[in-house]
Amino acid sequence: MSTEVAKTKKIKELIPEVYRPVFGAAIFFVLMMVAFIVSAPEVFLTVGIYTAIFLSLPLFTIVGLSLVYITAAGEIDLSFPSIIAISALAFTWTLQQTGMNFGLAIPASLLTGCACGWVNGLLVTRLGLSSLITTLGMNFALVGLTNILNNGVVRGLTDINDSKIRAILVGSWGPMPAQMFWSTGIAIILGLIFHRHRFGIHVKVAGDNPEAGRAMGVNIERTKTLVFILIGLCSSLTGIFAVLLNSTFFPTMGDGYLLPTLAAVFVGGTPVTGGKGTIGGLVIGAATVVFIQTGVVAAGLDGYWTSFGFGLVIVFSLIGHRRFSGKLTR
Amino acid sequence: MNQSADTPIVSLHNVSKSFGRVFALEGINLDFYPGQIVSLVGDNGAGKSTLTKIISGTEDPDSGGEIIIDNEKVGKWSAARARNRGIETVHQNRALSEQQSIYANVFLGREKTNRFGFVSRKAEIAETEALMRKIGYTSKVWNPTSTVNKLSGGERQGVAISRAILFESRLVMLDEPTTAMALSEAAEVIEFIRDLKKAGKSVIFISHNPWDAHMVADRFVILERGKVVYDAPKGDMSADDFIALLHKFAKKDQL
Repeated sequence: MSTEVAKTKKIKELIPEVYRPVFGAAIFFVLMMVAFIVSAPEVFLTVGIYTAIFLSLPLFTIVGLSLVYITAAGEIDLSFPSIIAISALAFTWTLQQTGMNFGLAIPASLLTGCACGWVNGLLVTRLGLSSLITTLGMNFALVGLTNILNNGVVRGLTDINDSKIRAILVGSWGPMPAQMFWSTGIAIILGLIFHRHRFGIHVKVAGDNPEAGRAMGVNIERTKTLVFILIGLCSSLTGIFAVLLNSTFFPTMGDGYLLPTLAAVFVGGTPVTGGKGTIGGLVIGAATVVFIQTGVVAAGLDGYWTSFGFGLVIVFSLIGHRRFSGKLTR
Repeated sequence: MNQSADTPIVSLHNVSKSFGRVFALEGINLDFYPGQIVSLVGDNGAGKSTLTKIISGTEDPDSGGEIIIDNEKVGKWSAARARNRGIETVHQNRALSEQQSIYANVFLGREKTNRFGFVSRKAEIAETEALMRKIGYTSKVWNPTSTVNKLSGGERQGVAISRAILFESRLVMLDEPTTAMALSEAAEVIEFIRDLKKAGKSVIFISHNPWDAHMVADRFVILERGKVVYDAPKGDMSADDFIALLHKFAKKDQL
């Protein structure tokens, strides 16, 4: 027992502290994949399952990236599923109205997402409301608004199937769905900003000690508002990808994102207490979460086991992070 | 008011600050000159911290008061503007983000970046290292990339103070810098304040400890209940006389 502890300590010391959450998440992911491969080699040793997972993984990753920012900033956003839906509606509606003009539809969707995020940001920073409750309310309001505007229609977009833009955004680049490349690119950019840009530092300071930031002339309110806008932007991107993938808009598009995406943030090693976070961890965390959703069923277990497996993974990964990276709370 | 021929770095004209009906500061007129260490003393709630917050731009004065920097009245005052004019503060709560690295804290709000806002880590780390070595805060245990929560209280204060001198600061305000410090650490801070003076910087030093306050000062300003009740150069006043003076005001306050 004691030698085991000493061993973990040694391994820990080899890895710089900042990278420990990422390594922890990666080790957990590898263990999980080994378990899946052992239990269902016929599924997990073929390309098919990965192609299937890589279709939806990028959608979770893109919106999850922005949630790392908000968590590090010491706030939370529960409204992103409804922003996905309403900006997907803006995208679809504009396409339908303009005869498939992507040059208008994409900006319309991004603007809708950013506007929703901006409202969240103003409510939280200007009125000092709790972000948890504000965005919970906002989620209901935007779901309602989406339904009101959409008026019960399922919008099929059959004519986009052979559009060039669709091929670029969600087509196949070899065996890999194009959205994997896009989400990787976005992850790299948002990772660089989070870990290497002035803005990323200010986000983390906002979550750790906002007074310290203010005293040093950092505009904490603006920083937080920008993070809410970033969530709007990423939600909108996820919405656009989802519409293109399905060639359809339905008002419940954002459902099913809330808990898995939040779980991806924490499974990835970003502490819930704010002040720090890891983009690399989120990428691994999102993969973990999406693989469980698919993997539990693929491994031959009843679909009812998905949630159970999910719960176990979240709890075990948090225990792992705690042992590996030290306390996750201050 | 003061014999110094220089123009004051900061002048306060009729500055007040009220919270609801309570005046934290009332009609403050003060000038702070280059190369002078002012010990600002007063009881808890006398308004010392509020005064530093107004000068450092983190708190707005009530309307009617004026902040004058280099003989020039300032309009909208903010923490960022104060720092741009060379006014740096070491706050009581140290104003450090403990989960960030030392170098990120040193450069917080003043990051060395390229055109696109990406931080030049190498330059920041190198400068932080040089700075820490210069002020003698060296350790084998941590380096500029360590997070602040690894440091002792004195070391954290070292980070906060070194941040205050790194930039072209002209007026450094230290709000209770030696509170909760070991004696040796406090002595280092006092030594450091003298270095600031030698470098021609103006210092506002706030302390509960009358010996510290007496030791470093060129001039004493005593605040009581938001008002300046004493403002004079130290001259040849001894520590005992200074403490007697403080007691006099404290007693008057009780009557």
